[in-house]
Amino acid sequence: MSSFVSGSEESTKEFKGRFKVLYLAVIIASSIVLARLWYLQIIQGQELRDYSEKNRVKETKIVAPRGFFLDRNGEVLVQNLPGFSVTISPQYTIKLEQTAEEVGKVLNLPKEEIIKTVKESRYRNGPFRPVPIRENLSLDEVFKLKLIRLKHPGLNIQKNIVRNYPLGANGAQIFGYVGEISKNQIQFLNKKYTDIRFEQGDIIGKSGIEEVWEPSVRGVPGITFVEVDAKGREATTDTPSFLGLKAFKAKPGSNLVLTLDKDIQIAAQTAMNRDDKIGPRIGSLVAIKNNGEILAWVNSPSFDPNEFSTGISNELWEKLINDPFKPLRNKVIQDHYAPGSTFKPIIALAALQEKVITPSTIVYSPGFIKFGRRMYHDHTKHGHGNINVIHAIERSSNVFFYKMGISLGIDKMFEYASAFGIGQKTGINLSNEVPGLMPNSEWKKRQYGEEWQPGENLSNAIGQGFVLTTPLQMALAFNAIGTEGKLYKPFIVKKLTNHNDEIIKEFEPQLARDLSIADENGFKIDKENFKTVKEGMRLVSNGERGTARWYKVPGIEMAGKTGTAQVRSFSADQIYEKCNERSIEERHHGWFIAFAPADYPEITVAVLAEHACAGSSGGAPVARDVIRAYFEKYHPEKLKVKRSSI
Amino acid sequence: MSTNIKVTERNFFQRLDSNYIFVILALNVIGLINLYSATHSVNVTYNEKLFFQQIVWLFAGWILFFTTTFVDYVFWKRISWVIYILNILLLMAVMFFGKEVYGSQRWLDLGFFRFQPSETVKIAVILMMANYLSAKSAYKGLGYRDLLIPAIITGIPFVLTVKQPDLGTALLMAFISTSMIIFVRVKRSILILAAILTLFATPIAWNFGLKEYQRNRVLTFLSPGRDPRGTGYNSIQSKIAVGSGRILGKGFRKGTQSQLEFIPERHSDFIFSVLSEEHGFIGSVTTISLFIILYIMSINIAVGARDKFGTLIVVGVTSSMFWHMFINIGMVIGILPIVGVPLPLLSYGGSSLLTTMFGLGLISAVAFRKYLF
Repeated sequence: MSSFVSGSEESTKEFKGRFKVLYLAVIIASSIVLARLWYLQIIQGQELRDYSEKNRVKETKIVAPRGFFLDRNGEVLVQNLPGFSVTISPQYTIKLEQTAEEVGKVLNLPKEEIIKTVKESRYRNGPFRPVPIRENLSLDEVFKLKLIRLKHPGLNIQKNIVRNYPLGANGAQIFGYVGEISKNQIQFLNKKYTDIRFEQGDIIGKSGIEEVWEPSVRGVPGITFVEVDAKGREATTDTPSFLGLKAFKAKPGSNLVLTLDKDIQIAAQTAMNRDDKIGPRIGSLVAIKNNGEILAWVNSPSFDPNEFSTGISNELWEKLINDPFKPLRNKVIQDHYAPGSTFKPIIALAALQEKVITPSTIVYSPGFIKFGRRMYHDHTKHGHGNINVIHAIERSSNVFFYKMGISLGIDKMFEYASAFGIGQKTGINLSNEVPGLMPNSEWKKRQYGEEWQPGENLSNAIGQGFVLTTPLQMALAFNAIGTEGKLYKPFIVKKLTNHNDEIIKEFEPQLARDLSIADENGFKIDKENFKTVKEGMRLVSNGERGTARWYKVPGIEMAGKTGTAQVRSFSADQIYEKCNERSIEERHHGWFIAFAPADYPEITVAVLAEHACAGSSGGAPVARDVIRAYFEKYHPEKLKVKRSSI
Repeated sequence: MSTNIKVTERNFFQRLDSNYIFVILALNVIGLINLYSATHSVNVTYNEKLFFQQIVWLFAGWILFFTTTFVDYVFWKRISWVIYILNILLLMAVMFFGKEVYGSQRWLDLGFFRFQPSETVKIAVILMMANYLSAKSAYKGLGYRDLLIPAIITGIPFVLTVKQPDLGTALLMAFISTSMIIFVRVKRSILILAAILTLFATPIAWNFGLKEYQRNRVLTFLSPGRDPRGTGYNSIQSKIAVGSGRILGKGFRKGTQSQLEFIPERHSDFIFSVLSEEHGFIGSVTTISLFIILYIMSINIAVGARDKFGTLIVVGVTSSMFWHMFINIGMVIGILPIVGVPLPLLSYGGSSLLTTMFGLGLISAVAFRKYLF
């Protein structure tokens, strides 16, 4: 028993004297806290009580105007317009019922709806946040609301900024649209851009250039202090500072000077919406300069981004996302298609460079060939007879290129197509670009666990089979052919300027690679071979039997290539069936990609006309109009006839 | 032995420290009155249910308190490592399945309850530390080697909590462990080295250890005008609320700063500003005095404890309560930067309340066992 007692004493005796430290710590810390409370509540008490009771100062965010988008010549493409909106602040609302009723009368809204909106926002966002009831008020509504405002605390009319797209639906997918930030985006964007604070209620770019360039375009919001009187009405003050806080002005976002040309963009849209036998085109168009600058970018059908700026209705949104032709999609980079015959110039270059043929080699090209147990058809029943590579391109002979495919094999075709960027993202600074696909034997094994079949060389040589490309990839590849090897990285923002038009940043064209110069593996394509293929492409538009010979710009020679992308494969007897007789979803897509002038391009245009049956009638007149618009604007002296129409 | 010592067995209630229980109850009452005001604004109804939830937690807390009191605390010594490992696993679970609120993952959603393991892990660390230090402490003070295990015990949950990110709770854990280590006495050379290391480590931690927003909070604290949108605004509104309470306060549910919702998080981290605004200097001092009495009574229990483990548990739990209070109130009255640390017994929150009541139960258990008979 006694050992038990002494054991207990022994154990805690060691801590004797240490407890003093604890008492001391508690006393010191408590004294600090009590002294501070004394200072705040007794010495500063009266002053702080005045703040809290007489003037409750509320800080308010001043939204920074987003930067404008200008075209390469300084024309406005995207801008801001002033607007008025009406809000109700739950924090100050005393009689929501009456307020809702009177506001409802002015705006022609049911009172219950207003009450529901306010209550929901209050629950979700707290009472601080003014609840927008209606944006874009008419001046008459503003006047009427101002009359009743004084009777209804919490009711406010706010001046705001509305994002405006003067071109409307034209270019909607490239410019993008703006909308209120969502809860998920707040977290996501704050993690992505650590030096910017995204907050509830922010208007942000949701797609296109608006989205990607958000950090530059958004600017920095300012702060002002608003005095709130005892009834909760706001009175703006000039108070520059409040208890050490300082008001500061909003800093407008940077303007973006784009590489686009407004006139060419409008011409491109008009050309896509042409009213001929086929009718307005579904699909996409991209026009680039020979250094990778984007000149025009059209997707069709489209939508009006102005509808989003003022809060899009549910019905319209439902309609847009359920449209089978996908108006929201940026098809120039988000959709990939079989390149069809537009792939042939690349195969021709491969065959020439690999010495499978020379420019003068004559190849017998009948209406079909038999390979293995299958028949491979041309698009015309009788074929093209004895032709060289130039005429094979001009007339788009399938059999000629089947034979090239057999001799080259897929891995050689892969090497050349990849050099032109087929099957790889172009790296343009926009969201959701797809890479497309360029197959090789290794890919086939990885993907399907099977060996590459020799028969597959034939279909892939004419751009069917597995090959998939985006319109932008094809435009860049054709520009590389036209410039005899110069493959550029595409870009769309030329300059960032501030609101005084001073340049903040400038972007230069970037040459991705020059194919006429040997790379580290010794890969190159001789200029001579480019010239041969370009001659074939020139004849497509200008030759006696060119597949697009009906579409010309007098005075300017174009060079191009037509193509059809099969939507689904057809059996042999269906091949010659009239395309127009099928239902629209089963019709082929038509490609036309062209550059001009034919000897050395300034502009390259790629058109993909979905379900237009043929590249020639579907795409060629559209591309032709864009090229004509370009030369009318920049080289009118070269045009022989000022206006001709077909 | 001739006997003039009279040995009488004390019954249950005599062994209970009723004064201690009374002080805790007083703080509970103040807490509930104040929480009612904070959750029942004129216009706001959406967090009224929080008040009733808190009452439920409080009942659960008292059941936990008495259960803990009657269990011999040696039991906790034996299973301290089980509790510790379980808590570490829960902290890891938060990283993978946690619920994200205000940009950090602190909660496990259990359906009826959002459980916050970084609260309970503090108790686990205290138990482990008490267990280890009670075996190691010596008159000459702890040496370098003796500090390795405490560093690991604290370090693992520290890193996991920093990752959430919840720097406030992580620092609290470090403070609690450090308090316990200094209490059992370390060699003087270690204290000097620690002081020098802190001096050098601060700029490194500033540049590499802290996230941008955390740096901002500290900078804002030093000059509130720097960031008028964010923490600077909250801190200033909170100071106005406290100061405008003056001596007697504006009255129950009459605090304009809190009722008109100028104060953020007024039911949890900023609860003290509601109290100060509505009940003034008198109310604040009364509440803080009750806390001081609670600490002094606790330290007295530590002095009379049966063994070293008992003493160290009490020291650990008391220092935890003390640091929580000091950091939380310091933030509300503008002498410390804003960190998300609750005020024990007053802030809304199930995890915090249950952990606090369990900790107080441990202290009560030590008091309960100080008698031999």
